[in-house]
Amino acid sequence: MGAYIVRRLLWTPVLLFIIGLITFFLSLYGPGDPIQIIMQQYQDPAIVQRVREQRGLDKPVLVQYGIYIKNALRGDFGESFKFRGQTVSSLIGRRLWVSAQLGLASLVVSLILGIPFGLLAAQRQGRWQDTSIISGSLFFYSMPVFITAPFLLMVFVLWLKILPSHGWGGLFDARIIMPALILGLPGTAFIARMTRNSTVEVLSQDYVRTARSKGLSEFRVFWYHVLRNAMIPVFTVVGLGLATLVSGAIITETYFGIPGIGRLTLDAFFARDYPIITALTLLIAGAYVVANLIVDIGYRFLDPRIKFE
Amino acid sequence: MRAKTILVSLLALMVLVAGCGGGGGAPQAAAGEFVRLWNDPSTLDPHLTGDTASAEIVVEVYGGLVTLDTDLEVVPDLAERWTISADRKTYTFTLRRNAKFHSGKAVTANDVKWSLERAADPKTESTTVDTYMGDIVGVKDKLIGKASEISGVKVIDERTIEITIDAPKSYFLAKLTYPTAFVLDRENVQSGPEWFKKPNGTGPFKLKEYKPGELIVLERFADYHLGAAKLNSVRFFLAGGNPMVMYENNEIDTIGVGLADLPRIQDPKSPLNKELNVAAPGFQTSYLAMNVTRPPFDDPKVRQALAYAVDKEEIASKVLANRVKAATTILPPGFPGFNPDQKGIGFDPQKAKQLLAESKYGANMANFPRITLTAPGALGSAVGLDLEAMLAMWRENLGIQIEVQQVEFATFLGDVDARRLQMWELGWVADYPDPQNFLDILFHSKSVNNQTGYSNPEVDQLLEQARTEADEAKRLDLYRQAEDLIIKDAPWILTWHEAERYRLIKPKVKNSQYLLLPLVVPKYRLLSLEE
Repeated sequence: MGAYIVRRLLWTPVLLFIIGLITFFLSLYGPGDPIQIIMQQYQDPAIVQRVREQRGLDKPVLVQYGIYIKNALRGDFGESFKFRGQTVSSLIGRRLWVSAQLGLASLVVSLILGIPFGLLAAQRQGRWQDTSIISGSLFFYSMPVFITAPFLLMVFVLWLKILPSHGWGGLFDARIIMPALILGLPGTAFIARMTRNSTVEVLSQDYVRTARSKGLSEFRVFWYHVLRNAMIPVFTVVGLGLATLVSGAIITETYFGIPGIGRLTLDAFFARDYPIITALTLLIAGAYVVANLIVDIGYRFLDPRIKFE
Repeated sequence: MRAKTILVSLLALMVLVAGCGGGGGAPQAAAGEFVRLWNDPSTLDPHLTGDTASAEIVVEVYGGLVTLDTDLEVVPDLAERWTISADRKTYTFTLRRNAKFHSGKAVTANDVKWSLERAADPKTESTTVDTYMGDIVGVKDKLIGKASEISGVKVIDERTIEITIDAPKSYFLAKLTYPTAFVLDRENVQSGPEWFKKPNGTGPFKLKEYKPGELIVLERFADYHLGAAKLNSVRFFLAGGNPMVMYENNEIDTIGVGLADLPRIQDPKSPLNKELNVAAPGFQTSYLAMNVTRPPFDDPKVRQALAYAVDKEEIASKVLANRVKAATTILPPGFPGFNPDQKGIGFDPQKAKQLLAESKYGANMANFPRITLTAPGALGSAVGLDLEAMLAMWRENLGIQIEVQQVEFATFLGDVDARRLQMWELGWVADYPDPQNFLDILFHSKSVNNQTGYSNPEVDQLLEQARTEADEAKRLDLYRQAEDLIIKDAPWILTWHEAERYRLIKPKVKNSQYLLLPLVVPKYRLLSLEE
């Protein structure tokens, strides 16, 4: 398995290089000129040309990409086009950390609520608990943030007056409660349904009947034989969900005044802020590569039958 | 300055509320923190500032030789006085003895010279320097790397600096109030690439805390030369939030009121009703521009016909709920040179039909050139309702079917500048309070910002004459004549000026009228809080 992991890790830079190149090409040949955006109304063609040359944007694309990679390897992802004078690293760094914490909190909400409800529904299959959990989860799953966010604000801020309406104070600050709930509830619904379905499937397997007929307690059957197998698909979803931690949540972040990466991403795309776009793309791609690797390795522990070549 | 739409265009011209008020009375102890939402500024470097979000902060932290007061008159800031030579081309400024940086260091003539040269250094990549400082002799040579100094800027002694411009332009001082010409501390700027996160300015406030995308906290500078702030600090939240909830929950002290909340607050029974204020509209004009070099707009009669065929009053009141005023002039109401007697091109469908018939395309409507109107839009936003209404009016009154294409803003700007478009929707917001900022920049045939290709020798001559006319009344009259001609030639269909805006302000905020000005101004030092 060690060789497998090493091989996967060695491929990662190659993959990121190719993804970076594609992003670079797309942003250069797509419509819209970042210099035009920097210049706003001050459109003297001579200045546009001057700034273009100073930024190295008149060089061939491959040369530009080469310079970019060279600097990136030293940790220098360049300077933002829109946020003049600020480095990409300083713009992304703190925001990324904020979004990651928020994402983690919402993932925890999804898991803590989703798995127990899913298991309960599976155990009470076909009874009222099952029906209400599944229909309830559908309700939360289909509820857009435009409805949940104002509703929570109205209740907790304006009526009960127990929470501030906006801002950020980290994982252990009351202000994370509302956004984490809003981001976590749709996930809860998804995980509950998935847990229920895979548990129901496992419960009907022969080895479960065997375990029961051996006279094992229902507790042992459930914890040692059912749960572990039922969790494999859930684990896949959650594992890949880790990658989304770095991409932020634009609407929720904006609604609750959270200085995360979502808003920056949106602004960067509209401002053709190539340095930020490219860095974010590499970051998100990198996160997916890592998340995939974690999931693959995790399988090995959950199901010893899975072998790596 | 361009504006995509009225909603987007809250903005831009700088007016310092300095110099007014004058003083007397025992100094009050500074107290309290004023808190508001603000947009994440794209820069805090004055020489790179070109947008309102940045300017609002920059004008509080830094200053220049001169500034503008609430009446849009140029008043002294770091300079205590100046003299103008007989040929009106050389300005000699004397610096204040008590003008100092936040570090306590006195501001000298060398600081001014270094700052102006830094703004004009090609390495600085200032996008505004050509516009605001291009009149100074030698700035252009410095910009293209031909000179290491600006030949028109001379240090006479520690407290005296002389600036020479290329022609006797009376709007020069107004331009000098823009952040591009602000004075920076050389040591501070050379301390590292992100020096502006710990700036050493000369403004009424120090930058106490700056977390990009999250928060800015300004703290009063006790030694400010025009009178220290009454507030202790000002806090700007940059990450967004739900403004109405934040205001009602006492998390912020002021918000702009949108259409959705307005009826509820205008109800006298609402507890918020007493906190509602009316703010002056910004200096802004929206228009539909036509490329006059392309058919069918190469015939002025076609342009006039389109203008006569729309009922702007009707659209303003019925479609846009009076959020805008129908524009009859290029210069917005209240702006220097605004002509209240100019009635513009009104709604007259008969005249529109007649003009179209008289035009060179009118004889054979079947072969009338196709017209495509380009509007900026992002995220698949809908075409503005006002535009929809105008399209219907042209169809109904003239039988002309105009196609609309939507282009994302970044692409749109490039197309407009390259004159690739036939007809487009855009707006202009004042940068400095002088008609030159609208008329000369947008309609002189040689201006780089003349996107319609409009060229009228008579207008050019009036605009050139106005540039150097010493008599203010005569100068405004020249602009008035030029504006009349342009309106008649109709390279633009004038659409809207901004109407009054609404703002909620907590009753504890005193001197809150300074939050209602139409311009970005350093105003926070004049506010105070009463608990």
